[in-house]
This record gives sequence, C-alpha cells and structure tokens, in this order.
Amino acid sequence: MTTDINYSDIEAKCLQELQKLKLEEENLVSELNSMVNQKTFIEDKIKGLSGLIPKLKVMKNEAEDLVFTVNDISQSSEKISGKIRKLDTARGHVDECLLRVNDLIDLEICSQGVQQAILDLDYEKGAAHVHRFLSMDQSLLKKTANDMNNVSNMLKSVRTLQEAAAQLRAIVEHKFSEAVNNEDLGSIERFFKIFPLLGMHEEGIKEFCTYLRIKLALTADKNLKSAINTPLADKRYSIIYADTLILLFEGLARIVDTHQPLLETYYGPGRLLSAVTILQKECDNQVKRILMEWTKTRQIQRKIQQITELSRMSSSASFSKIEKIDPKDMDILIGEITLMHFRCELYIKFLQRKIMADIEVGISDREQKEKTLKQLDQLVLNSTLSQCKHDLLSHYLQLEQYFMEESVAKAINMDILEASQHTSSMVDDTFFIIRKCIRRSISTGSLDGICVIINNACRVLENDYCTVLKARLKQGYPSGYLDLSQAYNVLQNSIQQGRLQSGDTEQSRTAFIVALNNADNSTEYVTALCDSIMKEIEAACPNLNANERGKLESCLSGLSSVSASLTEIIEYGFQQLKSTAIKPRINPWMDNFLNFSHQLTEDELSAYEAGESFAQTLIMNLETLLSSFKEILSSNNYDHFIQVLTVEVTQRFEKVIMKSQFNRLGGLILDKEVRSLAGYITSGTYWSVRDQFARLTQIATILNFDQVSEINDYWGNVDGSITWRLTPTEIKSILYLRVDFKSDDIKRLRL
Amino acid sequence: MDDYKFLFKVVLVGNAGVGKTCLVRRFTQGLFPPGQGATIGVDFMIKTVEVGNEKVKLQIWDTAGQERFRSITQSYYRSAHALILVYDISCQPTFDCLPDWLREIEEYASSKVLRVLVGNKIDREDREIPMHVGEEFAERHNMYFLETSAKESDNVERLFMQIAEDLMKQARMTNIPRYDPNSQNINDSTSNDSSCCSRLN
Repeated sequence: MTTDINYSDIEAKCLQELQKLKLEEENLVSELNSMVNQKTFIEDKIKGLSGLIPKLKVMKNEAEDLVFTVNDISQSSEKISGKIRKLDTARGHVDECLLRVNDLIDLEICSQGVQQAILDLDYEKGAAHVHRFLSMDQSLLKKTANDMNNVSNMLKSVRTLQEAAAQLRAIVEHKFSEAVNNEDLGSIERFFKIFPLLGMHEEGIKEFCTYLRIKLALTADKNLKSAINTPLADKRYSIIYADTLILLFEGLARIVDTHQPLLETYYGPGRLLSAVTILQKECDNQVKRILMEWTKTRQIQRKIQQITELSRMSSSASFSKIEKIDPKDMDILIGEITLMHFRCELYIKFLQRKIMADIEVGISDREQKEKTLKQLDQLVLNSTLSQCKHDLLSHYLQLEQYFMEESVAKAINMDILEASQHTSSMVDDTFFIIRKCIRRSISTGSLDGICVIINNACRVLENDYCTVLKARLKQGYPSGYLDLSQAYNVLQNSIQQGRLQSGDTEQSRTAFIVALNNADNSTEYVTALCDSIMKEIEAACPNLNANERGKLESCLSGLSSVSASLTEIIEYGFQQLKSTAIKPRINPWMDNFLNFSHQLTEDELSAYEAGESFAQTLIMNLETLLSSFKEILSSNNYDHFIQVLTVEVTQRFEKVIMKSQFNRLGGLILDKEVRSLAGYITSGTYWSVRDQFARLTQIATILNFDQVSEINDYWGNVDGSITWRLTPTEIKSILYLRVDFKSDDIKRLRL
Repeated sequence: MDDYKFLFKVVLVGNAGVGKTCLVRRFTQGLFPPGQGATIGVDFMIKTVEVGNEKVKLQIWDTAGQERFRSITQSYYRSAHALILVYDISCQPTFDCLPDWLREIEEYASSKVLRVLVGNKIDREDREIPMHVGEEFAERHNMYFLETSAKESDNVERLFMQIAEDLMKQARMTNIPRYDPNSQNINDSTSNDSSCCSRLN
C-alpha cells in the first residue's frame, strides 16, 4: 500500500517538476530572444562609446588647464585685494590728512577771524569761529602739532582761539547780564543764541531762565497784589486766588511754549528739563506765596480746626457749644479749592507731557533717557507745587466731608412730606447732595480725591441715612387692630414719653410707610448714582490704567453694600408690616372659611352660590386692604406687599382647609373659590403669584376628585402628570378630608 | 473670570518710611525695590491666595504714611477687614506713634476689624525696639503680632496668609454674604454694582 501511495506521489511530483521545467524553458527562450533582439542595439552603443574615448582625453587635459588658470586667478586676486585694502587705509589717511589740513586752515582762518570779529563786535561771527574751533578734535590737533615742523604757528593759533573763546564767553555773559539789566529783549535773545556756540549750553539755559524767573516773579507779584486788593464786591472775589493761580500757570505755560522752539533750535532737543527745573523754583515760590495769602484771607486753618473740633464733639456725643458752620457758607470755598487743585494738576500734567516729548526726541541713549525721566519724576514729586497740591486736596477733603455730613444731616432734619408724594424730601435732597459732592470731587482731577469722597458718601449713606430710615421703621406700623389692653399700654407709654400725641396713629402710620418708600426709592437712586458716576469719571479721566480703575471700582462697590443695607431695611419694614397690618387682619377673614359647611347637597349648593360666598367676602376685604395701601406705597413696595400678603393668605387658607371636611360639591366650590382668589390677586400685580398658589390649587384639585383613583391621572409617569408641590403623605391626608372617600381606598394608594 | 469665594480688604498703616510699600510689593510681586519714593495717597494691589482649596482675593491698600495724606487714608479704614499697623524696629519714633495710630483706628475703623501689629526691618543690625516690647504692646491692645523683613522676605507670606485664614474663619462664622459673588442677597437692582465688583482683576 505504501508503495502505491509512493508511486502516485512520485508521479505527481514528476509532473509538477516537468511543469516547472517547461515554464523555465519558456522563460529562457523568451529571454534568449530578447537578448538576441538587443544585441544589435548594444553593439551600436559600444561603438558609440569607443568613439568617445579620444574626446574624453582631450577634455581631461583641458580641465587640468582650467584648474591651473583658476589657481592663478585666485592668487592674483588675493594680491589685488590686499592692495585695495592698503589703498583704503591710505585713502583714510588722506581723508584724515585733508580734515587735519582743513582744520588747520580753518584754525588759521578762525584765529585770524575771531579777533577781528571781537573787535568788530560781531559776536555771532566770533562765536561761529569758536564753535568751529570747538568742533575740531582737540587731541587730533595736538597730534598734528607734534607731527609738524612749524609747530609754533599752529600752537599760536590754538592759543589765540582758546583765549578768544574765554574772552567771548566772558563778553557774552557780561553782555547778557547787561541786556537783562537794560531789559533789552533783542540783545537777550541775541546772546542767548550765542551761548551754545561757545559750548555753554547749561550756562545759557541757566542765565536765560534766571532772567525769565525774574520777569515771572514781577508779574506774579503784581497779580497777587491785585488779588489781595480785590474788593469784596468784585464778581470774582470768591475765586480770586484760583484766578491768581491760573494766571501764574498760564504765564509759565506761555513761557514754556514760546521758548521751547528757540531752545530746540539753538541748544538742541532734550534740554527742556534743565530749563523747566530753573523755572519751577520760581513757580514753587509763587504758588507758596499765593497759597499763604489764600490761607490767611479765607481763614482756612481756623475753619479746619473748627471742623475737627466739631467732629470730635459729635463723635463723643456731647452737646456741642461751638457754633456750627453752615455748610452752605462753605460751598463757595470748596468750589475755589477744587478749581485751584485742578489747575495745579493740569499744569503738572502739561509739564510732564512737554518734557517727556522733548526727552523722547532729544535723548536716544536708553539709560540716559531713563535717568532723565527719573529726574523729571523727582522734579515733580519734590516740588512745592506738588506739596501745595496735596495740601489743597487735604483741605478739600476735610471741608467736603464736613459739607456732605452736615448737609445730609440738614436734609434729614428738614424732612417734609409733600402731599401726593410717596417719598419725603430727604431722599431727593440727600442724593442731590451726595451727587453734588462726588461731582465736585471729579472736578478736582484727582482720582484719590474722588475715591475718598465716594468712600465718605458710602459712610454717610450707611451710617447716617440708613440709620434714620431704620429707626423710623423700628417705631412700627400701628395697626389699630391690637387687642384693647395692648392698645392701652401703647397709648399710655406714648403719652408719658411725649413721643406720641394721642390720636396721631395716622401720622405714625404715614411716617412708617414713607420711610419704607424712601428706602425703596433710595435703592434706585444708589444704582443710578453708581452708573452715572462711573460715566462721569470715565469722561473726566479718560486714561485710567487698570490699577486705577480697580481702585475706583473697589470704592464704588461700597455703594452696593449701601444697597444691601437698604434691602435689609426694606425687608425689616415688611416684617413689621406683616406682623401688625397683614396677619391680624387676614387671619379672621380666612378663619371665616370654617363658618361654611363644605358638605353640600345640590340645593344647598345653588343657595350658596346665590348668596354671599366665602371667596366674595374675602376678595372684598382684600380689596379694601390693598386699595388702602396701593395709594400710599411705591410700586415696588406695593408688589412686595402683595407678595407678603399672598404668602400669608395661602398659608392660612391651607390651614383652614385642613380643618374642614368636604364632599364632592364642597370640593367643587373650593376649587372655584381658589381659582377666583388666584385670579383676583394675579390681576393686582406684575409679580407672578401662580407659583405661590401652586400648593393651594393642587389641594383644590384633589378635593375636587370624583373618586380616589383619579389621582392616578395626575401622579407618576403618565401624560397628565404635574409637578407636585405636595408630598404623598400630604396628598393622602387631603384625600381623607373628603368624607365620601373610603379610607381603605386611600390607604391602598401607592404614591 | 474671577472665581474667588471671598474678598477681603487689607489696609496697611503706620509712619512714613517703615516699609509698608515694601511689604506689599514683596508679597504681591516678590520684589524688594530699593529707593522707593514716598507713597502718594493710597496704592492698591490685588493678590489671590488659596486657603484650604478656597480662592481668597486680597485687596491690599497701601496707604501713605505722611501726615498730609491723612484725610485720604482715613477714608479706607471703615471698609477694611484687616488693618496692619507697621513700625520700624530700628526706629523708636515709629513705635512711639503707635498709640496715635490706634486712636485713629478706633475712630474710623469698624470695631470688628482684625488688627495686626508688624515690626518690620528685622534684617537691620541697629534694632531699637526689642521683640518682647512689641509683643507686649500688641497683647495689651488685643492685636496679632509679627516681626518681618520685606528685604529678606521673612514672615511676609506668613503675615498675609495668616490674615487670609483668620478672615476666612471669621467670614465662615458670620457668613458675610455681600462679598460672595454668587450670593442671593444681592438683588436685581444692585447687580450693576456687584458686576463692577467682579470686574476687578
């Protein structure tokens, strides 16, 4: 058997092998064929290539020649470039030589010319010669002198020029001071221009600015004198010192504006700071003098002292004997200070802007620039002007604070209620004062000042203003529905303490309601105030950086804490109102529900519907109550009132329902009554009361069922299911109120 | 957006040159800039720190020590949650002025304010006020006490972190709602104000 298999295996293998060999043979034949085909082609190629060989030999020779040539060229070009370099140096030498020769020639010319120029009194020409001389490289001159033979001649020229320079310097300085003495404007300007030619930039600026200082001092003196002598009747008497200050700053600004171009043309840019530094000394002097006079005339120290004492007195709560300054009298003075402060601020800003622009153009070296900018900062910081400005701000803040406090106190004391108004005068008055003060602080131009006044406004509003409102609400709302003994006690106490004259319940009610309205109105004012201040500050100080803005916003956020206090006060007021005006009246009306039977026959139902139903009476009563408050409460407060009322009504309603028992018709009536009540209250307010009625509506729905199982249409995962405000236990206990429902059915319910 | 849970105002007071600005700079920016000029009015810096996984935003008010800025600086006392009273341990007069400062704090600040006494510049060799003297003073006036060096960064971080932690503890107890940006207590009419609060930073 095995051989059998072997045989067949072998046969298969042989066949396979044969097949393979056949294939191979075919391949070989085709390959041979293609080779034969290619033979002629390849032979052609070989013929062609052998033809190329001699050409290649030629090419190789030529390439070698080329390499030689290139090497040659590179060598010679290197030689040439070396020569060129030498030539360049040589040309440099020649240039330098030329320059030196030129210098020497100029030196000669200058030394000859300068003497003549001085003799001719042509100082410009002389100075130009000196300028030319100074622009020469002095060390180079010396070197030239060493290199040359006729040294003496050149040195003589140099000496002549140096002498001439010294001479000219002396002459120019002398002539300048002479011109100053003679007030010869032409000459002053003439010599001012010569200084820089002689390399005397700093001296020139110093001399010239000193001259300007003197002139400035004279004018300022005159202005101050005329300010002091201004009669009381003069229109501008009240701000005459602000005017004087403005004149001074305007004068200074004019000097800077007119002389900066001169300075830039003849001295070059970047020198304004030196000039202003000198002028600033006079500015400081004059500002100090003006402020001293102002302090004396306006009796600032005395007023500040008085205010400090007053505030100390009031804080220790003792009766002050010092005569109070009427805040109104301070009004004009505060106005003058803000004006003065603003002008100082403006002038400082002007200087900074001018000088910074000058530095930007004139100084390119970064380090030098930074140094100069720091000098500018120091100049401003250390100036008496800055100090005076700070003092002005300090005075302003103290006076403004007093003004605000006293004016608000006055507004509260003089509070009156105009008929037909919801709020009393103190609200408008207080916010008018606060806004006025903050606006005035904005006009000082100082962010710090603005922030302080906002802080003070928050303090006054929260401490003084809110406290008064709260105190008025604390008195409570006399209901007139107290039980007799309580009423008697209240009356007795009031009469004894003289707080209340008998029979003025109405008055204290009005006081309470007005305080509540005042608080409501104030929250709106605070919000409006915050918005408008922000806008005004943005308009007045458009370039606030992020930090300054943060500072301001942090201070403004103090106003939102005023709002929070006001909201608390309103909440407190409504608690009061609820306990005296709402609860005692609502409760008996609601309890009236218990007087009606809710297990009715058809006949009784029609009789009930024909007569005066519970809901009708209730709505009528509510109508009377609401209408008495609608007139007197502000619209926000009225809405709030309805909210509080609704909560009370619905809660009490639930309670009385739970105390009653119903049959099918009784449930029907309840459902109707709840609907009409909800409809009535919804019609009275913008505020949605639907939510408040949700529980009550659901209770009525349940009591209105035909049978217990109806709950399954509403409960659980079904189409008609609603969002329940009642718990399963509550639902069951409500179902139990239906006398016609079997308790077993209710028990069996799975909720 | 800001996601801080608490915002506290910290105000630094004390004589000119005791290093209030340096303390604030060290804490907020990690810098000790020498040759600072005197502070003009009030400076304002913000740093948010983390206390027990809660973000706390510290608003630091660096006041000018010089007398003539008093009417500016005083107005910031009232809303401060913490007051840091700083003196220079190498300068007796700055310590002698402390009672005056306390009087001012008494007059203007809230009674609940957290008060901290800080003796600064302990890097200096020429100490004039021994540590125990400062400590006793603080104890007598019911204040926290810490000695710091803004230059060497000693205790600076600790000072502010301690304040943040204490204020947070205090806030948790009384639950200051008005600084919680998500609070329900801010009603619609003041939402503008609160948004300007959260726009900070």
